[in-house]
Amino acid sequence: MAGIWVFAESRDQTLELLNAGRELADKLSSKLTAFAADDKLAREFIDCGADKVFLLPPLPDDQPFESHVPVLADTARDEDPDAIFIGASSRGKEMAARLAARLNTALCSGCVSFELDKDGKSLKMGRMVFGGAGIQTVVCATRPQMATFAPRTFEPAQPQQGRDGEIKQLSSAPASAVRVVGRAPKQCGSVDIIGAKIIVCVGRGLEKKEDISIAQELARVLGGEVGCSRPVAEVLHWLPEEVYLGISGQTVKPLLYVGLGVSGQVQHITGIRDSKVIFAINRDENAPIFDVADFGIVGDLYQVVPKLIEELKTALKV
Amino acid sequence: MLRIIACFKWVVDDADIKMDAASRKLIFDRVGFKISEYDRNAIEEATRVREQYGGTVAAVTVAPPSAKQCLKDVLSRGPDTAWFINDSSFSDLEPSQTASILAETLKSKIEYDLIICGEGSGDIYAQQVGPALAENLGIPCATCVNKLTYVESENRLIAERRLEETIETVSIPLPALVAVLPDINLPRIPTLKQVLGAAKKPFQNVSLEDLGKAPGAHLETKDILAATMDRRRLMFPADSDGIRSVVDALIREGIIS
Repeated sequence: MAGIWVFAESRDQTLELLNAGRELADKLSSKLTAFAADDKLAREFIDCGADKVFLLPPLPDDQPFESHVPVLADTARDEDPDAIFIGASSRGKEMAARLAARLNTALCSGCVSFELDKDGKSLKMGRMVFGGAGIQTVVCATRPQMATFAPRTFEPAQPQQGRDGEIKQLSSAPASAVRVVGRAPKQCGSVDIIGAKIIVCVGRGLEKKEDISIAQELARVLGGEVGCSRPVAEVLHWLPEEVYLGISGQTVKPLLYVGLGVSGQVQHITGIRDSKVIFAINRDENAPIFDVADFGIVGDLYQVVPKLIEELKTALKV
Repeated sequence: MLRIIACFKWVVDDADIKMDAASRKLIFDRVGFKISEYDRNAIEEATRVREQYGGTVAAVTVAPPSAKQCLKDVLSRGPDTAWFINDSSFSDLEPSQTASILAETLKSKIEYDLIICGEGSGDIYAQQVGPALAENLGIPCATCVNKLTYVESENRLIAERRLEETIETVSIPLPALVAVLPDINLPRIPTLKQVLGAAKKPFQNVSLEDLGKAPGAHLETKDILAATMDRRRLMFPADSDGIRSVVDALIREGIIS
């Protein structure tokens, strides 16, 4: 057994994967390897469970982060890890797919859960298919076994006392044909939809853009943020893409999700399935969201929401 | 003259999938099929690039022979030709197999400058085939592309990638592959004339014999079960009493305070 690798673009995602990786490495009595951009991070990753950390050399300014793929592939051939877990950021997904192709091995994209198979070696991994209607269980017939995990699939690993590990420099990335010619911060507001404890989500039941103010008022009273279903962001452009929830958008785990005029397509539901409480308001009693809601009110949101706001103001003394 | 390839997949319309609650089996009786929604953006972008810079568009798919009706559908959306890589064993392929079959076909049969894929397939959404195909062909790629420009004088692309916190603009020499995001364009709805015209456009069959051996699956599917969610499904009336009951329940459960 040549160990478990975890690789992610960000510190936070690396810590999450270290948590899952450490548990698996212990079960398999094997080593856990991580990747870090600098020495300080490398030490933190060792404290948080890594036995070995590869330092990624800095890239020239015009090289994208994905340029590390060839070196990762070469290193994987040398080290022969048994499993590689990759953080499913936008770049992480591309890098995982390219790495799997280079290593001619299997990749379980968007893994949501895994367990050791009866043989004690293979990972049985679960992932969503058909827009979230199905859960597919897969195993890798090849090695290394690879999987990508969406951010926040696991809790971040915590530092432990007295841990020790090896830090090793990785080779420099060869020049990539893809060159970065510009970087601009994305224009997104201060909305922290992922971290929000309460999310008020608007769907196509909303009649016009101005009516988002109704959702904003409800979110304000509840102390939450406003999200939306995919068409509201991508077809109507009423809200930024960063706040649409669903299998291809954000996956959220709020305490409370309030759906206003959200029909509840399976793609959307997949993004909110880990909400503690789902509360749906929709005019259509047959809307699929009522099948996956804890609380439901069949009614016109333009009538119900103002009353709801009043009740909340009274009850919460806002 | 750009030779553009648009990759697409003929997928089950997931709105037609039923489930058996007792066995948690998914039921595919009477399901319809369609061109994966995300691939419509790839097809549209290929057509748009051709209209702007000149060239040809070939739509390429890997599918079982039963998917043949996808050809008329895809050709009505703009491509000049279609390649139907089909075999009865080509249903439920895993991504590495699809990427390998596409790469083999492109290497031996189709000349290309630019390959455009969608964000992921509408059925299994592994988001692997694009980047894996680029690796198999040994060409550069960029995913998450939200805007695409061709610089004719230098035979390269300028692609805007929408990532988590940044918009990254990259320059890529051709031949290259890009995977595009859904909001790069709004796929046009074929007109009746285009639908009728699609029947006259040429397509090529590629069989397993043309390719040699079929690649084996790296990823084995053990089962697919319906995803269930255990929710309380408590319904309340839309009047003040009903609304107050919901508020009370949320407070009682410590969800809001």
